[in-house]
Amino acid sequence: MRSQYPNRGSSFEYIMWLFTRLSGVLMLLMGALGIVYANLAGGRTLMDMSTQYRWGFFPIYWHVQNSDIPDVFPNWSNSFWQVYGVLLLLVAAMHGFNGLRVVVEDYVHRPYLLLFAKWLIFILFLFTLFAGAVIVFELFV
Amino acid sequence: MFRGRHVGYLEGLRYKGKEHMLAWALHRVTGLGMLIFVGIHVIAAFFLNAIGDDVSTTITTLYESTPMQIFVYFCVLYHALNGLRLIVEDLWPPLLRYHRELLWFQWLVFLPVFGLPAFLMLTSILSGSA
Repeated sequence: MRSQYPNRGSSFEYIMWLFTRLSGVLMLLMGALGIVYANLAGGRTLMDMSTQYRWGFFPIYWHVQNSDIPDVFPNWSNSFWQVYGVLLLLVAAMHGFNGLRVVVEDYVHRPYLLLFAKWLIFILFLFTLFAGAVIVFELFV
Repeated sequence: MFRGRHVGYLEGLRYKGKEHMLAWALHRVTGLGMLIFVGIHVIAAFFLNAIGDDVSTTITTLYESTPMQIFVYFCVLYHALNGLRLIVEDLWPPLLRYHRELLWFQWLVFLPVFGLPAFLMLTSILSGSA
């Protein structure tokens, strides 16, 4: 007797369902690691609450250079935190723009409009990644 | 998923889904809120560095303001807690028997963890130090 369920291993929706859950936990862990490192690197008595959360969001050094924390540069300006920041942005953008696609699919019914919206979301996703990578790796001409 | 059902928006609002519907709606709203925040943040920072125009400066001051930070903190915390509850219920379906209790427990965790920093940030606006 054949299973009445669709082939779960190869379904795009199933993969994105799984990815959404895994990446959600991963983003929380990456944010927590950023905050822990910020405190270990000397920010424990120097950061107010909003600065802490900003570090957790995106741990690259000029994300915090506006706050009055001395010696941010040597701890944070290395390629590890740059790659970490781009990876966090990649995971977050995939999670977020996939969520936007799911929401849009609920409300847009016309097939061509939906196709257009999906392509627009995909292009915005690519541009966000591109812009983020340019900022993080300081690739401005 | 819900395509082809054609339920009007007002009709949808009249659907009394109670705590579950509030969680579902807030999960979507907070998710979109974060997406808009991170999206305009990254793109405005890009254009601020690449061109340095006035529009990017305006957007930058907007998202660096404390009310916006409180809003984003609401979005992140609610979305994270609700997402964790969803993951726990997905991994262990017997817990769905206590779905309502879990939702209330989630609010019990959310309110102080959101409220205290939001209060501190709000007082710093009102005292003019932010």
